[in-house]
Amino acid sequence: MKKMRSLMIVEDSDEDFEVICWALQKSGFTHPVIRSARAEEALMHLITELSQAERLNPYPCLVLLDLNLPGMNGLQLLEALGQRQPPLPVPIVVMSTSNNPVDIVASYRLGAAGYILKPFKLELYLEKIRELTHYWFNTVTLPIGEDGEN
Amino acid sequence: MLETNKPCTATDSDPTLATANNVDISSCDREQVHLVGAIQPHGALLVLQEPSLRIVQASINSADFLGIPCEQLVGQCLDYLLGDENTAAISAQLLAKKLTGTFTHLLSLPCLAHRDGAVHITGNRIDSLLLLEFERSRYAAELHPAHAYCGKLQDIIQQLHGHAGLLNFLAVAVEQLRDLTGFERVMAYRFDRDGSGEVIAEAKDTALEAYLGLHYPASDVPEPARRLFALSPLRHLPDVDYVPVLLYPALSPLADGRPVDLSHSFLRSVSEMYTGYLRNMGVKATLVMPLMKCGKLWGLISCMHHSAPKYLHYEQRFPIELFSRMVSLRIGDLDNLDHCAYRTRLDQAHGQLISQIGRAETHRQALFGNTINLLNGFDADGAALLEEGQVTLLGLTPTVQQVELLMQWLTQQPADVLATHRLSHDCPAAVEFSVVASGLLAVRVSRTSLTWVMWFRPEVVSERHWAGDPNKPVIINDEGQACRLQPRASFALWKETVRGHSRPWLDCEIDHASRLRQSLQDILVERACQLKELNTELEHSNQALSSFVYAASHDLKEPLRGIHNYVELLRLEEGGQLSGQGQQRIDTILRLTDRMHDFLVGLLEYSHISHTPQDLFNCPINSLVEEVVEMLKQANPNDSITVDIQPAMPTILCNPTNVKVIFQNLIINAIKYNRAAVKTIKIGCHATNGNPVFFVQDNGIGIPPEFHEYIFQPFKRLHGNKEFGGGSSIGLAITQKAVTQQGGHIWIESEQDKGSTFSFTLAPEQADERV
Repeated sequence: MKKMRSLMIVEDSDEDFEVICWALQKSGFTHPVIRSARAEEALMHLITELSQAERLNPYPCLVLLDLNLPGMNGLQLLEALGQRQPPLPVPIVVMSTSNNPVDIVASYRLGAAGYILKPFKLELYLEKIRELTHYWFNTVTLPIGEDGEN
Repeated sequence: MLETNKPCTATDSDPTLATANNVDISSCDREQVHLVGAIQPHGALLVLQEPSLRIVQASINSADFLGIPCEQLVGQCLDYLLGDENTAAISAQLLAKKLTGTFTHLLSLPCLAHRDGAVHITGNRIDSLLLLEFERSRYAAELHPAHAYCGKLQDIIQQLHGHAGLLNFLAVAVEQLRDLTGFERVMAYRFDRDGSGEVIAEAKDTALEAYLGLHYPASDVPEPARRLFALSPLRHLPDVDYVPVLLYPALSPLADGRPVDLSHSFLRSVSEMYTGYLRNMGVKATLVMPLMKCGKLWGLISCMHHSAPKYLHYEQRFPIELFSRMVSLRIGDLDNLDHCAYRTRLDQAHGQLISQIGRAETHRQALFGNTINLLNGFDADGAALLEEGQVTLLGLTPTVQQVELLMQWLTQQPADVLATHRLSHDCPAAVEFSVVASGLLAVRVSRTSLTWVMWFRPEVVSERHWAGDPNKPVIINDEGQACRLQPRASFALWKETVRGHSRPWLDCEIDHASRLRQSLQDILVERACQLKELNTELEHSNQALSSFVYAASHDLKEPLRGIHNYVELLRLEEGGQLSGQGQQRIDTILRLTDRMHDFLVGLLEYSHISHTPQDLFNCPINSLVEEVVEMLKQANPNDSITVDIQPAMPTILCNPTNVKVIFQNLIINAIKYNRAAVKTIKIGCHATNGNPVFFVQDNGIGIPPEFHEYIFQPFKRLHGNKEFGGGSSIGLAITQKAVTQQGGHIWIESEQDKGSTFSFTLAPEQADERV
């Protein structure tokens, strides 16, 4: 059976996760969503070398990463992943409350594929998520293909 | 010798008389008595080169005194005169003794090869020349042992024992000295600070007129004479009518042609001014010894002979010299002993003041306590403290205005410790309050804050007896361009009522003031250090606070966004099930969270400005402003806005982020607080003293002047939070902070309903151009 391409969300806040899911649903996003509440857990998932068949959860084709996380934070996760050779086949988009230029610049330097400011208004949230999923799942060709294998 | 090239000033009434005030006594100072090139006839002088000991100059009385004519001596070595053995003895002495300063005894001989009679040879080095002086012994054929005189000295010292008090001691000393020397008059003379002097002890023949208590003006012992007196332990003029003995050859042996310096020479010829003065006084011979205190000339012991010339031999002078040195040594002790109890009292007062200074917040509290203050234990009638323009007075003092006047004079004085007992003489403006303050003792504590501590003493009117009119110390004969100073001829008693004088300040009092100054300065330095530490701490805590504000507002944003999102979700998903009131409440929650979000964003921006690196770039202000205006017009598409930007504003070295923040906030304000149908904003710049002043002017609602001082405070609202679209009320605080970061300042000119003009600079200014 062909596996669906999936989205991984690294987010510790249940409320934020719920709002993102709400927005994904409203945007008509139908791909599987894997949630990781901690950066360490996400790291393990992303670097463990298993075939898709052996995995409990599929290997994602996009990661949405919060920066402010308990324990290892988002920037540290980016740094840990950036040091991997060969580079991981998954784009990581940061989604954070921080509009501090220091965080934005650091994220891009550490290899983030995008940086999204978490909007205050629900309406804007919806817009952003719709735009994001449309771009990454419908417009560009991602390294992880339709069958989940690269 | 006394002619001067400089014409002297004379009084209008009598062109031949000069007064102490207008005569240039320094013309006498310019008479270089130490370079006269002549000696007195009671000895002979040889000038030699070393190490050859070749004679290069000799006094012309050599034939008579040494048995060989000077022409014959010059060019020869010393052994030609003294023989090998004696020359070797001199050479050995020269090696053993350090010859500088005063003349040192080198050798005594029972006779010379070409001349009978015992001689004493003394020597000194100056300008790399060796000076040898020859004087006959009192005893023609043999050398009399000096200890015969020392025995006499022992008696005298015995006599001096047990005489307490300085004046008593000196009275006995001059009496004993008259006995020892046989001079008809022996006086002790003390110099005042102004250089004038007073006879404070005298022993004399009964037939002579008394000089005790008389004052002599400073010009009687002019500066060069005082300098020479201080140099040698004893000066002797055996005969005022002596004929000076010149040196041969007259041409100086020194390469630069300067005459040989005879400052330390015992035989040196004296000034004609001096001999003339003595003749006018009826003196035939003198013997003068300095009285030194703490290395400074304190006074003189002056022996005078009136009836005939009088010469004291080396053997007689030796114990006298010792005696005068001993008197000098005792003077310091006795002077201090006289004020011993007072000194102790001052020490206690100092200790109390210092401990009070340590406890008090200000100098004023410390120095003007009810029980401990500047006048405790101190012999003064009034005291004052001047600090940063504030005057504090205690006791009998001039008025505040008068002290301020005094301050102007004090700041021009170079000294940090100033003592005068005739203030109105030194500072003429002080004449108006000389009754309360003729004596002033002032210490400068700080030059930067102009801090002075002063003590005052009232005027004491007294009668002073002068030996002759002190206002006419010299007579000047006008001879065309040049003028001639002549010693005065009249020493008749001249009584002066002295006004504008107080009791003079004692050394221990000046010392007390200086110590207090030092203590106050030490404390100032200590406090400055503490302040510096506090400033550093404050800076750290400011930084910490700023970081906290940044972190807190950032962290608060997350849950707030959560609340907002959830309420919105609630409204969207289940709003239909709520009552009208319930929906209204949901709207209120959303509005309130919106407002709180605005606050947090404002706070973040405010603290963000302190964290922004202040990199400076050359920015054309016009393009910065146009960018901001464009952005704001897009954000307010429904408003009718006219922005008039002055063309060709300057390019400024600044931080562009800061400058954008400034213009952005001011323009937002101009749009927001504006009810006009067409909102008109003028942006421009005018230069004041080369420092550009930018302005943003609007036709908005204006701000009443009473609120101008509050508008730059964070979260200060002048309107209800629903009026003018609400807002974080931190925009102007951010603006001001950004301006301050640039080193500039910002101000407002505005009236209600007449619009506002915000003006600001972007650099520290040379001159304040605020209206």
